[in-house]
Amino acid sequence: MRFKLNFKSGKPVYLQVVDQVKVAAASGSIQAGEPLPSIRPLAEELRVNRNTVAKAYAELESQGVIETVAGKGSFVSANNSPLKKAVRLELLAQEIDTAVIQAHHLQVGKAEFLRLAEDRFDAFQDKRDRAATS
Amino acid sequence: MRPMNPENTVIDIDNLVRRFGSADAVNGLSLRVQLGRCYGFFGRNGAGKTTTIKCLLNLLRPTSGRVKVFGLDPARDEVAVKSRLAYVPDAVAFYPWMTVRGTLDYFASFRERWNQRTEAALVDQFRLDLRQKTSHLSKGQRTQLALIAAICPEPELLVLDEPTSGLDPIVRREFIQTVIGAYQDGDPGRRTVFVSTHLISEFEGLIDEFTIIEHGREVLTLEADAARARYQKIYAHFSDEPGTLDLGGAHVFRQRGRDVEVVVNGDSADVMERLRLRSPETLTTEALTLEEIFVTTLQPGGAMV
Repeated sequence: MRFKLNFKSGKPVYLQVVDQVKVAAASGSIQAGEPLPSIRPLAEELRVNRNTVAKAYAELESQGVIETVAGKGSFVSANNSPLKKAVRLELLAQEIDTAVIQAHHLQVGKAEFLRLAEDRFDAFQDKRDRAATS
Repeated sequence: MRPMNPENTVIDIDNLVRRFGSADAVNGLSLRVQLGRCYGFFGRNGAGKTTTIKCLLNLLRPTSGRVKVFGLDPARDEVAVKSRLAYVPDAVAFYPWMTVRGTLDYFASFRERWNQRTEAALVDQFRLDLRQKTSHLSKGQRTQLALIAAICPEPELLVLDEPTSGLDPIVRREFIQTVIGAYQDGDPGRRTVFVSTHLISEFEGLIDEFTIIEHGREVLTLEADAARARYQKIYAHFSDEPGTLDLGGAHVFRQRGRDVEVVVNGDSADVMERLRLRSPETLTTEALTLEEIFVTTLQPGGAMV
C-alpha cells in the first residue's frame, strides 16, 4: 500500500499512518493476511523516524487491525471484519468533521450543509449511473 | 513536562554555563534527552550548540552547572561515557594516507564491538571505494565515512554536530535518513540520537523532540507532533480589504490587500473565530513545519513562545 504523509496537517504523523492502514483495511485495498512493509524500509520511504512507524504499528496492533508475528512481520488481521463498519464510519466522521468546521468558517448553516451533502450525493450517484449505462 | 525516569535519561544538562573570556557561549541551558529518542538541537550558527556538545564529551569543562551522560559525569567517567557513545563533528578529519578500509579498521580497533554487516551494507549503499585514500574523498564521502565509523560500534548514543552542513542538498537528506535508520534498527528503543543543526527541514520527519537555543539559552522545547499541532498558520482571504484586525494578541505574519496570514501558537480556535466574524471568503489553516517554527520563534519581536 502507498502512504502519504502531510506534515502540515497538524495531525500526529504516527496517527496518519494508523488511519491510512485502517482506511486500506476497511476498504479492502489490503486484505486479511496481507503483510505490511517492515518498519525500517517504511521509515526510510516516508522519511520518518523508525519510532514513528513503530508507534503506529503498536497502535494498530492494540486496536486489532494488524497482528505481528515475531520474526515474520506485521499482517492485516483476519478478525478485522466485525470492526470494519464501525471503522469505516469513524474514518468518514473525521472527514465530515473537517467539512463541518469549514462550513462553520464559511458561515454555511446546518440545513444548508445537509442539503448540499444530499446534492453532492445525488450528483455522485448520477455520474456513476451514467458511467454504468454508457 | 512529563515525569522523567532518571534511568531513562541519556543526556541531562542542568543550568549549564560556559564562558569564553567575558562572552557567554552557553548561558544557563537545561535539557533532558530520554532513551530511544531522536532529539533535535536547533539553533543558529553561534547559538551555543557546539559548545554544549563539547561539554557533553568533556572536550570543554563547564564554567558552572551540571552535565550528565548516562547518569555519569563526562569529566570524571570519561572512558565509561565515551565508550558508549559516538560523535561526528561538523568537520571530520582522517589520516590522509589511510585508505577507507584502513580508516574503518583503525576506528574499529578502539571499539569493543563492530558491526561488519552494517559496515558492508553502508559502504555498498554509499558506493565508497575501500581502496581509496581518504585524502581523495569528497566532503560528502568523508561525512559518509565518519557516519559509518560512528554507527558500526553500535553505541547507545549518537551525537551529530551539523552532520549535513556544506553537503549536496539532494544527497544529504538521503544519507542521514539511511544512517539513522541503520543505527536505530539494531536495538530499537535503546538507540538515542542527539543531532544539532540549523538545516531543520532535512530532519522534519526524523525528530521526536527538540530544543531551540539562542544566545546559549533554551527558547523552546517540544515534541515534534505537539509543536506541529500548536503552531499553525491561518490564511484568510476577504472580499474587501479588512483593515485593522483585532486578533487578540496573535501575530499577523503578513497582510497584503485582501489576504491575511496569521501565525498562532496554541490559540488557533480563538483566532479563527475572530477572523470568521469578519466574514472572509476563505479561511484555512495548516501546521507550521519545524523549520517554520524555528524561524518564527527566533524572529525579532515574534514573541511566539
